[in-house]
Amino acid sequence: MELSLPTLAALVVLGAAAGWLGALVGIGGGVILVPALVLAFGVKTQVAVAASLIGVAATSTAAGSAYVGSGLTNMRLGMTLEIATTIGGITGGLVAMVISPELLAGVFGVVMAITSALVFFDRGGHEREKEPTEAQRQARPAVLGWESREKLAGAYFDEHLHRMVHYEARRIPVGAAVSLVAGTLSGMLGVGGGFLKVPAMSLGMKVPIRVAAATSNFMIGVTAISSLFVYFARGYVQPLLAAPIAIGVVGGSLLGTRHSGKLPAKVLRLTLSAVLIGVAAQMVLRAMGVHLGR
Amino acid sequence: MGAELTDKDKIEEALAERDHKRVQLLLRAGLALSTALMAVGLVMRLALGERGSPPLRLFELGSAPDLGLLLIGLGILALAMTPALRVLALVVIWARERDWRFVGVAVAVTLTLALSLAIGKG
Repeated sequence: MELSLPTLAALVVLGAAAGWLGALVGIGGGVILVPALVLAFGVKTQVAVAASLIGVAATSTAAGSAYVGSGLTNMRLGMTLEIATTIGGITGGLVAMVISPELLAGVFGVVMAITSALVFFDRGGHEREKEPTEAQRQARPAVLGWESREKLAGAYFDEHLHRMVHYEARRIPVGAAVSLVAGTLSGMLGVGGGFLKVPAMSLGMKVPIRVAAATSNFMIGVTAISSLFVYFARGYVQPLLAAPIAIGVVGGSLLGTRHSGKLPAKVLRLTLSAVLIGVAAQMVLRAMGVHLGR
Repeated sequence: MGAELTDKDKIEEALAERDHKRVQLLLRAGLALSTALMAVGLVMRLALGERGSPPLRLFELGSAPDLGLLLIGLGILALAMTPALRVLALVVIWARERDWRFVGVAVAVTLTLALSLAIGKG
């Protein structure tokens, strides 16, 4: 692939858009990067997945560093589930290398359609709160969150309720099983897998959705690198493709964390959901041999 | 839900806050280093007039054809290693707190990541 300066600039902008939306709407950004690289830039699916995994790692690191300070992330819970997601990530990476790009595009299309529905019906728990009022600020304790050492439990300060909310994760095997599937899809498709991890933690393990979203975001980076190492070692990383995307993603993610809670996230989610369903259809068509783009 | 915190809870609060700040610093440093390496490498590569995008293998970084490509490769590696170092940092932090159960969990994750490197190389 020959990269002109306008193409490089377009890759930076693409990465920035994916990182910005990823941090803002709570998705890894891979659902945007992979189809854009495949459909608009004509990149082989596996190479696009490798570039996307780098973007997902960047989004998670940038957005995760913002969430860690908020006291919402439960690192012990995240680390426990990471055992399953990293095993899944390796499995997914290996599967992606033996199946055809068309089949991979088809699986991606189906997962995107599901993601679109989940984004559409999302309750918005990943969104950071709006700026607190003066009364809320005064009620804020010095420490915004803590996690137990004895069990997968913790507490975070809820500014709307003006108190610490305590929680304890239940049904760990359910969370681990869904994390394994999420990790496998992440490794195969270059997506973060947060769309599965967040409901697994909030609905399956009864963890507050804000804690689930922050913890999922924290986990996504480790999941992504477990398969990225496989792609990188086997030569699927194209540096001139990956670097501008990663640089864009870092900038976009940092901007996204600042805009979080300040922009009409509901409108963004609905727009993203509509875009995803359209691109999902294109990916499925490509899998069936119908090329609408390049 | 919403119960009063005990002294033990307060100590755990303080430890969690300190851990979070350390991890946050590590993530930010890794992000800054990797972005800088990739940006410098990209500019050097473009200055050479190279527009091709050859694949780069992790275990062949040392034989990259030029410094620009090597820096981009190192930047990608630094970005990938940042979450891995975070796992290692938590092994150390939790070991200092004698929280052996979660030290074991973090070590298991570290070993799985090492396995992914070994599988990739193989």
